[in-house]
Amino acid sequence: MTETLSALAAGFGVALAPINLLWGFVGVTLGTAIGVLPGVGPALTVAMLLPLTSKLDPTGALIMFAGIYYGAMYGGSTTTILLNTPGESASIATALEGNKMAKRGRAGPALATAAIGSFVAGTIATVLLTLLAPVVVEVALKFGPTEYFALMVFAFVTVAAVLGASTVRGLSMLFLGLLFGLVGIDDQTGQMRFAFGVPELMDGIDVVVLAVGLFAVGEALYVAAYQSRTREALERLSGSLWMSRDDWRRSWPAWLRATAIGFPFGTIPAGGAEIPTFLSYAMEKKLSKHPEEFGKGAIEGVAGPEAANNASSTGVLVPLLTLGIPTSATAAILLAAFQSYGLQPGPLLFQTQSSLVWGLIASMYVGNVLLLILNLPLIGVWVQVLKIPRAPLYAGILVFATLGAYSLHQSVVDLVVLYVFGLLGFLMRRFGFPVAPAVIGLILGPLAESQFRRALAISQGDASVFFTHPISAALLALTALLVVVPWLVRVARERRVRAGVRP
Amino acid sequence: MPRRRAELVLSLGVLALGVFATVVAFRLPEAGGYARIGPNFVPKVVAGCLIVMGLWLLAEVATGGWRDAVDDDPVARGEHAFHLPAFAWVSAGLFAQMALIRDAGFVVAATALFFCVARGFGSAHPARDAATGFALGLAVYLFFVKFLNVSLPAGWLAPLLGGAGL
Repeated sequence: MTETLSALAAGFGVALAPINLLWGFVGVTLGTAIGVLPGVGPALTVAMLLPLTSKLDPTGALIMFAGIYYGAMYGGSTTTILLNTPGESASIATALEGNKMAKRGRAGPALATAAIGSFVAGTIATVLLTLLAPVVVEVALKFGPTEYFALMVFAFVTVAAVLGASTVRGLSMLFLGLLFGLVGIDDQTGQMRFAFGVPELMDGIDVVVLAVGLFAVGEALYVAAYQSRTREALERLSGSLWMSRDDWRRSWPAWLRATAIGFPFGTIPAGGAEIPTFLSYAMEKKLSKHPEEFGKGAIEGVAGPEAANNASSTGVLVPLLTLGIPTSATAAILLAAFQSYGLQPGPLLFQTQSSLVWGLIASMYVGNVLLLILNLPLIGVWVQVLKIPRAPLYAGILVFATLGAYSLHQSVVDLVVLYVFGLLGFLMRRFGFPVAPAVIGLILGPLAESQFRRALAISQGDASVFFTHPISAALLALTALLVVVPWLVRVARERRVRAGVRP
Repeated sequence: MPRRRAELVLSLGVLALGVFATVVAFRLPEAGGYARIGPNFVPKVVAGCLIVMGLWLLAEVATGGWRDAVDDDPVARGEHAFHLPAFAWVSAGLFAQMALIRDAGFVVAATALFFCVARGFGSAHPARDAATGFALGLAVYLFFVKFLNVSLPAGWLAPLLGGAGL
């Protein structure tokens, strides 16, 4: 405990150094902006900035990237409340009540409860991260390659198979991502795999090209084809920003309850904030003294989901920093950012790069304060950002997207590959294939393979180690249960439905 | 394209990719070492799993279509019907950039990209889009080349950028 506090104090020394404070400020401002803008998310933004890592110092760059990550959660609520087009699935629950409040001229209090709730949840979640990380690190130090491999399999399967509409479409994208991850030189034997003699493929498929292709080019093609001819209704920000005494009284219990739901969901590989935001919404609806207001703009319905969203996004950093396991697309790209500096998140990073890790955690306390200032007094600025028409917005996104891909190797081949991934992203969006498993497969796949082969090298080729080591066996059994149980439930339900149709 | 046919084509695509990857994986050398498995083992597993996924998707197509599929009716999704010109303009912008970036340079390529994409999104101000694209391209070029030392092709503007001491 005292060790944690002294490490955190040293971390504040790093985070409050003027240059890192500046990078943190740039990160949270950029994060709020891209959270506000429809069509750009934190995963895409960090991916576009990855080629710059060679020019920046790792601590500053990672503080900036983390700022983009949690700053985007703040900005997202502004768009959801004023525009009613949730930028991401985690904002859908907020849209239910937030946009209704805006329509009734209560946009100000809705934005305020979202921003203050995000601050409360983000700060409490950062405290929990501070306390929990050293504990997990302690456990993780005992993990060998066998346990790591089992843990990665667990993360793959939950992200791909359990979440999302369809198990088979999620798993298809996971294996596609894993296949992309195999392209290039095998680092254990030097064997070239799936490169077909193309020099651009020998280094492997770059995460920048994959993520920017899927998120930016695919998104632009999709929105142009299916949404560019519809009009959007932007709600006016009128009246007071201030929450009334009654608003406060109804908001703060919702913030705290939502933090308690959101953080644990973030720490397990349950893929992002969608489930906890809906759980929080359902809980607030049930506990509210004004259930009749739900569906017409109940403030608890904004306060809860927004706080849950932020708490879970901070929770995601627990497995990422302590175990090196990303559980969302953005976390996977943050992992790639660490890797571009030759750093591997995990228990050892807390020992070898203590000042970097704790500087990063400390920067999140500072970042949440900056975000509260950015998102309340300066809310008017972001409303202006929201007014940028779609045509120049998407045109600008693609200029930056192609710049990121081209600057990797100064090669037109990367632009061609980018377009191919864009077409893939278009088809995935159109036919309901999730993106996160593909990105996580690409980044985590090579790590999983090397842990797998290392585990087998230690056991001299005896694959039974994965089932005789207790932690590994438990994780693999849990993984199997997560796939088989929903499937059995589904088969039973379909059979019952069929029996019902034909009596 | 009717939904069933699109699903059939995509399922076959996944299957074909799996078969192709399997063929490639089986040609990789063994070279096991202590682990008794070599660089060909994981590729075989991943390729095999892709084949299984392709077959699973096909099985869903054969038994009433993909489960929990995206609504085929764009209006039900809150969108409009597929707008080919918009899709084509965005694609054309990206192709123009591929063709121009090496010789004409980054700024010209970015202008063309910006112009085409804005058209695709239904912008009614072509001249303004071209000017905005040029200004954005130039600003990005100067920031990256002068400030971050990332090299980008100057192309046709080389004499101009060079002459201005940039």
